[in-house]
Amino acid sequence: MGVSDGAKYAYIVARVRAMKGKLIPREMYPKFLNMEIPEITRFIGESEYKKDVDELGKKYTGTDLFEHALNQNLALTYRKLIEVSQNEANFLITEYLRSWDIWNIKTIIRGKFSGASEEEILESVVSAGQLRYRDMTEIIKIGTVEGVIAAFAKTPYYPALEGYKGVLADIENNLDKLYYSNLIKAVAATGNKLFLKFLRTEIDLKNIKVFFRMKRAGMERDDIMKMLIPGGMELKDADLARLAAMPLSEFVRALEEYSYWKAISDVSGELSSLINIETRLEKYGLVYASQISYYYPLSILPVLDYILSKKIEVDNLRIIVRGKETALPEDIIKAHMVM
Amino acid sequence: MVDPSALAADPKGLIAVGAGLAVGLAGIGAGLGEQAIGAAAVGAMAEDEKFFGKGLLMTVIPESIVIFGLVVALILLFVF
Repeated sequence: MGVSDGAKYAYIVARVRAMKGKLIPREMYPKFLNMEIPEITRFIGESEYKKDVDELGKKYTGTDLFEHALNQNLALTYRKLIEVSQNEANFLITEYLRSWDIWNIKTIIRGKFSGASEEEILESVVSAGQLRYRDMTEIIKIGTVEGVIAAFAKTPYYPALEGYKGVLADIENNLDKLYYSNLIKAVAATGNKLFLKFLRTEIDLKNIKVFFRMKRAGMERDDIMKMLIPGGMELKDADLARLAAMPLSEFVRALEEYSYWKAISDVSGELSSLINIETRLEKYGLVYASQISYYYPLSILPVLDYILSKKIEVDNLRIIVRGKETALPEDIIKAHMVM
Repeated sequence: MVDPSALAADPKGLIAVGAGLAVGLAGIGAGLGEQAIGAAAVGAMAEDEKFFGKGLLMTVIPESIVIFGLVVALILLFVF
């Protein structure tokens, strides 16, 4: 390690560590579960989300306000990371956060496909990537899926969209694959092995989730293969092909060979609902990110750890409020949260 | 070319060079050490002003090396 190698990440790492210290502590979530929505909103309105809640308070109320405030805060936090980082860190963060562009494109196209209102679509848009909020609000006004796709013609994501033939799943798979293959290429160009390791683990976790969902739905091998993302750490191409051909029960047993097994071993029997397995896998990703960020403190990893932690905080808050709104029992809300 | 006889006549010159190197190199070393700490301290401070005191303290810790350099320089100059 050269003298300046550590120094180039020192600033951004210290900054995200300080930002991580300001996230809502884990002990707060059980307390939220005992609160009513107005209490939670008030708590959130006095926390790091104050500015967003105040700003959007004129336009929205209740859970809509909550949803928009969380999304805006998430987008601004991620954008801030891009703004305060430099050189390699900046490049890597920008590339990684393109996943939000993919998210937004999917959200808009899905919304148009199912005939959702502009307001409903906008509620789920998080402008944390390279696509601007203003541009997206314009695109949302377009009436048809084809029109929306044409509006994305000048973006780097167009190659995944242009083959649209009325099946949403196809372009969604293409978008995911395009994102990960571009990201792997970009990261490989910088030679940052730590990021690559993190990324390939993320791909593995994503693939395992796809496996569980598809196998539970009884999909055929070829259909599953289309949805998998190549480039994983432990689940290489040959493993993916092998696992895709197995029925669900056999697949669960085959997972014992991989290190992800320890995350899901105790819930692997409960296949009636995949929520436990999915939250466990999310938790594994989070713990993994935080562990390796301590092994390599002056690298991109603490930043990625923060990006994940922040997303999970927002997701958890959303789950609590949405769950409370629909009067779900506490244990169901808890099962959906990553804690 | 330096005349060797001139050096032999007055070793104080070399002692002064040694003293200069002791302080100078120690300063460069401390500077290299401080660059990452300073950057990190500013980063933490940008998020939370409470880190000012801690950040300042951490940043000046490598400075002690320069004090060792200074002590060595003073010994060189005044003892020899």
